[in-house]
Amino acid sequence: MSDRLTKISLPIWLTAIFGILMIIEFFFSVPQIVTDTNVKLRSWVTIVSAAALILGTFILTIAHVKRAYERKPGWYYSLIYIGAFAVAGALGLISVRETNFMWIFNNMTSPIGAALYSLTAFTITSAAFRVFRARNWKASVMLVCGFIVLMMLLPVGGAIFPPIVPIGEWIRSFPSSAGFRGMIIGISLGTIGLGVRIFLGRQKEHLGIREEKKEAS
Amino acid sequence: MRVILFIGDNLVLILAGRLVSLVALIILVGAILYYIQRAMSGKIPKLRRLPAVDVIQEIVGRCVEMGRPVWYLFGSTDMTTPSILAPTVAAFQTLSYTARIAARLGAKLFVPLNQGLAYTMASDIVREAYVAENKLEDFDPLKTVMYLPSGADRMYIINHMWEEQVAGAFFLGSWYHEAVIYTENAAREGAVMLGGTDTTHNIPFLVAICDYSVIGEELYALGAYVSQDALQSSSLAGQDIGKYLAIIAILIGAILVTAGISLTEFFKLGW
Repeated sequence: MSDRLTKISLPIWLTAIFGILMIIEFFFSVPQIVTDTNVKLRSWVTIVSAAALILGTFILTIAHVKRAYERKPGWYYSLIYIGAFAVAGALGLISVRETNFMWIFNNMTSPIGAALYSLTAFTITSAAFRVFRARNWKASVMLVCGFIVLMMLLPVGGAIFPPIVPIGEWIRSFPSSAGFRGMIIGISLGTIGLGVRIFLGRQKEHLGIREEKKEAS
Repeated sequence: MRVILFIGDNLVLILAGRLVSLVALIILVGAILYYIQRAMSGKIPKLRRLPAVDVIQEIVGRCVEMGRPVWYLFGSTDMTTPSILAPTVAAFQTLSYTARIAARLGAKLFVPLNQGLAYTMASDIVREAYVAENKLEDFDPLKTVMYLPSGADRMYIINHMWEEQVAGAFFLGSWYHEAVIYTENAAREGAVMLGGTDTTHNIPFLVAICDYSVIGEELYALGAYVSQDALQSSSLAGQDIGKYLAIIAILIGAILVTAGISLTEFFKLGW
């Protein structure tokens, strides 16, 4: 019974109470104490999140140490991770504003991140070839619309065929916007539905709670 | 500015510009609760079955047959951002179901995450799924669910997709530019993919590249469907009431605007 209370009932009740508190603060003019409590709760989320980050890093380091120790394929990459983690971690502990730490961040972490981000350009190009194939009439519509909007955005498009600019703008302003707004309405309804199910404790898989349900035949 | 309402003898203060939202929320929540109540009394509404529900088992089964891993990816998982939190929690519901199928069929499941809080939650969900199927020995706490720091995760995921020849992948949650990078690489490996996100600018990519997709709110509905809980799935009928109201509001708005009656001034009153 106590196990159920701590693992199932308590998290659900806490979720519902704090969730409703946030909703009340959003809609109603509430006493300052409620606002202060909500601000404190939101800062707790950041603290819990930071603690979880430490846990994640700890487990990742264990995984790499184990891999290097057991000489598994690619073990030398794990050594690089351990070395980089030790150096960056030690310098960060001294001070995150310390020159050497910032040098690592500015000259290694940021450029590597930017280089990885630039991969998007190549993958989008190859994905475009995969996507823009007229396999059926729906894909053909997408192909034509995509081509028109692309040509509208390119300076050369308007120079070759000037009417493509208003046509492209019409596609973006009306059919595209209408579709997206419909999606946003649906997503909002879905989010509210999810919230109600979580507050009622009907949906609790995200808490890692396992309760046997009747299997569908 | 505040809107002052009297309900009975009580004075209620509602913040300016939020009255309409509050009324809409009350109607919608009321409709959801009504359908849940009906389901509790045995009246289960008939719902259209999402094809994605059957696809989950199909993808995992394919991976088992081919002896290759199945991946479950979340995209951005910053649980402190509300717009990311909701789709991530929705994706957790489906992860629980997918992990159970993977454990039952003996598939090699891999769940990489780039945020600490989401990692701990996903790790717990997958572990519980393996426990439920009496396959805890197949759950590797260091490998089944892995924390990969944001940024470094991209290279790791792309590299391992090729190295391990991923045969099936799920892309559910809040997806940004990584959606294109990962799905394109998985497609080149010949993986069967199910994609779904609520980030509107990435929905077209997931729909176009993935073999199967859930669009927008279907991401939220999927968790209720796979739960096999009649009460959960009944709540989806309540959401449909919201859709009908939205359609009516759109039609009324379109007629009024066409007739030259602007509603802008009405909403400027602070409702």
